[in-house]
Amino acid sequence: MNRFSTKQAGIISPSDLKTMKGKIAYWSVFAFLLFTCIFTLFPAIWVLLSGFKDSQEIYSGFSLFPRDMSLEHMMTCIVDSWKTLELGRSMINTVIMSMGSLCLTLIVCGIGGYVLSKMKPRGTNFVLQLVLWTMMMPGQLRTVPLYISWLSFPFVANFPFEVSLINTYWPIWLSSAANAFEVLLFKHYFDSIPMSYVEAAKLDGCGNLSIFFRIMMPLSKPIVIYVSIMSLTYAWSNFFIPYLVLQDKELQITPVRIYLLGQSSEIKMNVRFMGIIFASVVPFLIFAFFQKHIIGGVSIGGVKG
Amino acid sequence: MSTQPGIEKQRVKVKHKVARRNNIEGWILMLPMVIVLYLMIWRPTVMGAIWSTFRMKGYTPHEFIGLRNYIEVVKDTQFLPTLWNTVMYVFWSLVVGYLPPVILAIMINEMVHFKNGFKIVLYLPQIVPGVAALLMWYYIYYPDSSGLLNFFLAKFGIDPYIWLNDGRFTILYIVISMTWSGFAGTMVLYYAAVQSISSELYEAAIIDGAGMLKRVRYVTIPQLSGVLLLTFVRQIISVFQVVEQPLVMTGGGPNGASTSLGYQLYKYGFVNGRAGHAMALGVIIFFILITLTVLYMRLNKKVEENY
Repeated sequence: MNRFSTKQAGIISPSDLKTMKGKIAYWSVFAFLLFTCIFTLFPAIWVLLSGFKDSQEIYSGFSLFPRDMSLEHMMTCIVDSWKTLELGRSMINTVIMSMGSLCLTLIVCGIGGYVLSKMKPRGTNFVLQLVLWTMMMPGQLRTVPLYISWLSFPFVANFPFEVSLINTYWPIWLSSAANAFEVLLFKHYFDSIPMSYVEAAKLDGCGNLSIFFRIMMPLSKPIVIYVSIMSLTYAWSNFFIPYLVLQDKELQITPVRIYLLGQSSEIKMNVRFMGIIFASVVPFLIFAFFQKHIIGGVSIGGVKG
Repeated sequence: MSTQPGIEKQRVKVKHKVARRNNIEGWILMLPMVIVLYLMIWRPTVMGAIWSTFRMKGYTPHEFIGLRNYIEVVKDTQFLPTLWNTVMYVFWSLVVGYLPPVILAIMINEMVHFKNGFKIVLYLPQIVPGVAALLMWYYIYYPDSSGLLNFFLAKFGIDPYIWLNDGRFTILYIVISMTWSGFAGTMVLYYAAVQSISSELYEAAIIDGAGMLKRVRYVTIPQLSGVLLLTFVRQIISVFQVVEQPLVMTGGGPNGASTSLGYQLYKYGFVNGRAGHAMALGVIIFFILITLTVLYMRLNKKVEENY
């Protein structure tokens, strides 16, 4: 109850909390939130529990909890499903894919933001306008032409060299690097770093690239972390482009793999549930480590272009 | 004294040289970004518009046919129902999903117990990767007794209901799952806005004798009106592009009841082998969305001017 003293004036103010009515209001809001939390988590918990049931149990549906809750049974469930799903390969693929996306995004968008913020060559304003408009472009018109260009990159026909990007990660890497919003995020953050850092480094004989990597990046840790988290979590839930592009089973990433497994009827129910859990593990770990940055990071993300 | 103009001239020359070097180097460094944006965004957008007027043989443009692709797309008996479905996605997403994020953000901000706990727990659905969440909801809605909802119905002695296969409400059910996976992101956004409302405003309202509901009405809502408006438009734009949900959960069914424009485009482009139609439909969607986006930008400007 002592915590009430820390309460600031709001819709419910400290003076309200001394009255009965205010207390009831406060605790009913609390109860409502608690209920919402349970309600929100419930589907996820159900999936988690169902992963440990055998399929007969799932269909008979007597209880929410699996019959056998021993650690041993759970371990065999996990190991068996892992073996049937063969997710190992796709997990490694997803890591490769997400790391590539991350590096390319940081370098391409970061250097782009640096040039627009600190070097400002001729035509900066024009490029900035274009980048802004790029952010506004609806995406669906692009899907088919993009696919056509990936079939024979970079141009459709009659080009001295052409490479098919189908069954490579390049389409995914390139399209995550083509992120106008992140260019603007970097630009705005770099704007807040005084020009004198750059000038001092130049006097010491630093080139622009080493200024970017040795000075700007370390000084912009919050934004680097924010962009990294965003592109990593995005990579783990990226579905549409990988689904189109990675047709080779050896290259499949986890989200696509569990979708395709869900369609084959040979896989048992509880194994499918396990698949959903496996696919969520890494994003959850990322969240657990960077929870503060993710929930608090929106004030950075809220910067408007 | 006579050398002064010469030095001045030289200085200007050096300055120009430095500026030119900066220009060249700047452009070289910026080139990867420009190339990537060109190849991944600008070029496909323009090419899509051009190729939409071609007859496509597989994925190669064959001959110019003017607007015939457009006519065929619009004349398709499925076009109007699909457009209507897409509008229904937007409608239901506003009915189901528009208010919860604000309400929850305001409520969490009032708490002094478990404030962070609530934030973290309610954020969890956002972390479940898109497809995993969709599959999860697919099993929750599973039409036989193994689905979670039918499990509860069975507890009350009610026969299993077909959920997603009930064409009248398929879109509503899909929207509920979309809301589950998406509300937290918006909630955190609102939370930042709610937090920045100065407590002095509330104190002033209390001195004026405003009760709790009046404080919501006269302080909280007016302070949030800008964000509320922007989220409204943003939600319309993003839900209008729904593809993955019908693709994973229903395959557009039953009987096309959950096919959206985006999913129809995907089917034209990658299932039925009618790339020309896909691009024509893409152009139509593009114009609808660009209109909404321009509206959004206008509102955004107005909102920013007011604060």
